[in-house]
Amino acid sequence: MSIDPRPMQRRQFLRYSLAAAALVPLGGALSSCAAGGSSSSSESSASGGAVSDTNPFGLADSSAIDAVIFKGGYGIDYVTYAAKALTKVHPTVTPTVAPSTNIAQELQPRFVGGNPPDLVDNSGANAIGISTIIEQLEDLTSVIEAKNLEGGVIKDTLYQGVTTPGTFDGKFVALNYALTVYALWYSASLFEENGWTPPKTWDEALDLGAKAKAKGKFLFVWGKEAATYYQTMAIASAIKEGGDEVRLALENLKPDCWSLPAVQSVLTAMKKVVDAGYFKPGGSGTVFTAAQAQWTNDQDAVLYPSGSWIENEMIKQTASGFQMTGAPEPTVTSGSKLPYEALHSTAGEPFVVPSKAKNVAGGKELLRVMLSKDAATNFAKTLLAPTIVKGTVPADGFGSTALVSQTKMLEAAGTNIFSWNFVDYYGLNTDMLVVWNSFLDGKSDVAALTKGLQGITDKVAKDSSVKKIEVK
Amino acid sequence: MTAVVTPLRADGASVGPARHRRRRLTFDRVSFVTVFLGVPLALYLIFVVSPFIQACYYAMTDWSGFTDTQNFVGLANFGKILDDDIFLKALRNNILLALVLPAVTLVLSFALANLVTVSGTSRGQTRGLKGSGFYRTVSFFPYVIPAIVIGIMWSQIYDPSNGLLNGILTSLGFDGARSFPWLGDERTAMVATIFVIVWSMVGFYMVLFVAAIKGIPAELFEAARIDGAGRLRTALRITLPLVRDQVQTAWIYLGILALDAFVYMAALNPGGGPDNSTLVMSQQLLTTAFRKGQFGLACAMGVVLAVVTLAFAACVFLANRLLGGKEVAR
Repeated sequence: MSIDPRPMQRRQFLRYSLAAAALVPLGGALSSCAAGGSSSSSESSASGGAVSDTNPFGLADSSAIDAVIFKGGYGIDYVTYAAKALTKVHPTVTPTVAPSTNIAQELQPRFVGGNPPDLVDNSGANAIGISTIIEQLEDLTSVIEAKNLEGGVIKDTLYQGVTTPGTFDGKFVALNYALTVYALWYSASLFEENGWTPPKTWDEALDLGAKAKAKGKFLFVWGKEAATYYQTMAIASAIKEGGDEVRLALENLKPDCWSLPAVQSVLTAMKKVVDAGYFKPGGSGTVFTAAQAQWTNDQDAVLYPSGSWIENEMIKQTASGFQMTGAPEPTVTSGSKLPYEALHSTAGEPFVVPSKAKNVAGGKELLRVMLSKDAATNFAKTLLAPTIVKGTVPADGFGSTALVSQTKMLEAAGTNIFSWNFVDYYGLNTDMLVVWNSFLDGKSDVAALTKGLQGITDKVAKDSSVKKIEVK
Repeated sequence: MTAVVTPLRADGASVGPARHRRRRLTFDRVSFVTVFLGVPLALYLIFVVSPFIQACYYAMTDWSGFTDTQNFVGLANFGKILDDDIFLKALRNNILLALVLPAVTLVLSFALANLVTVSGTSRGQTRGLKGSGFYRTVSFFPYVIPAIVIGIMWSQIYDPSNGLLNGILTSLGFDGARSFPWLGDERTAMVATIFVIVWSMVGFYMVLFVAAIKGIPAELFEAARIDGAGRLRTALRITLPLVRDQVQTAWIYLGILALDAFVYMAALNPGGGPDNSTLVMSQQLLTTAFRKGQFGLACAMGVVLAVVTLAFAACVFLANRLLGGKEVAR
């Protein structure tokens, strides 16, 4: 064996490397631009099927449906169930249901590349801000105007106002599937044992705090990632107190919206609760699920404000015989503009169908199947939460006290149901958590909290690059 | 194998029979250049340089991140982030980390490295403390655990109600520690976080210094000892100048880690901590890009982060040069 004795000279080596450096980008790098130019591969391929009442969107035979579902508190089994039901109607179609916990990171390249999935459950902490993709989404009015599997028009089977949270500038782009009721949750057995009742005003909350303290318990508990649950409660309480004008001021990011008398009275009342020491200390350093377990399992605190997903979220860490029950959020005075029974309720789990998807009809068809009575009942039964489809929860609530109380609260509220979008729509939660943690910790006062929150909404209001939605 | 290799001369000219200045492109040469230069260079250009250039371009657009079009807005994004009090706070936190973290970690790991190599008994051969092999292994353990695991573990230890730390402190009679939120209080959040990062890094840098100190001839230490130098003086006047290059490298590595610090921060305080006291630029970048859908702005933040990192490395090189690094190290 012989070895080439001539060494590679340094200068020559450099010369080669320069040549290579000049050639390579021409070959590969430039053509791999992530968002270069317009994408050309967006032909609407699957548009072959004949349109009929049983196939309202003209789903093509033997096409594939690609659904990406956020895997959070509700899991993905309810969509898989609907996908199976869909194959009974369209035996040649193959639906795939894929889970994701990071919707935004996972789907961003697919949106840019022009090949998004046919159906997306855009939910969870890493959901895509609707404002950024609104132009690329299908209007879903055709879905609720179609007939469901039982033959009734879907629109007539839904609760009132459930399309509102998914409608932006008059375009209905997100179908929110699960019905969420925001309330103050407590253990009915614990309250009965002590003769307590859930507070109807903030003064009653202070009284209850004193009674709980006497038993060595706190009134509230919070976790650092969920400090804004108290903001949700505060806004609901302020809207009940001051009526619709409070909601509109906040929704439209009005200057001084946090200084409205109704908002200030709620914040002042909450500050009293904080100062009285009725919040379990240390929340700003506690992971929220651990904090929630201090309420459901250790029963260190007696009340927790949250959405109705809380029962399912904590189901494995709830003490037996807890009997989780919901009550409406307290008002400031008994003369509030909306009655105490008024309820903050909205539809959650926004399902969207991107316009550039290969099989738009397939995405809509899967949604249509999900909105059939059978699939919706399956959701309520397995996840102990109602969908936007009416009449799927029996009187015994499948044995869940929380579900029974939700139905009762909804009935008592009647038409006094309200909700708001601005926190999620503009992605403000992360910034708001910071000021709320300080406030609940007792480190800042009402003025500092107001200033902090106003700063956050003002920043968005003044940012001309953010597209605003006007709420009327 | 009995191949005779012609020795190279210092000026780089070969003394073999064929000695044209320009040589033909033989298969050997071409394949060598392709495999050892072309492929790595191509990978580097495609996966490092081109994203870099792309990010610089997107930093000057209003790209939302979810469309295939974007408008050119010039330097407006940079103006916006330099006006943004939250981003500036994150920038300050990063700079604080870059100053404190390397200093604390390196002092500790240098001291430990001395203890296990040369600061042992003053009789006989120069050696470390008794059982130094054991200490060396133990202090390396944290480095073996992935950063995210360390973060989750320590967030449990710091838990105000059920955490190990407050449990120990209250059982020792410190009642102020009951329910004290180490990660939730503005005064302690950053310190507690820095402690975790230092804890996880000390072992590795200790091993780095141990290797460097082992490379110093033992005679030097013996001579110093005969001349009456104590342990501290030996460490500072003999060892430190001789491991200067390692200190510089370690300082830059730790600085880059401090300027990123994403994993630790995201695990310990995903929201940026009380009053944003532990928020770092990379966290703010992620929020801006994926939560707020402002990729153009997020790219501008990335460019600022890159500039700060390069400036930091330049400062460390300059400081080493000014402190006379060249003469002593060579």
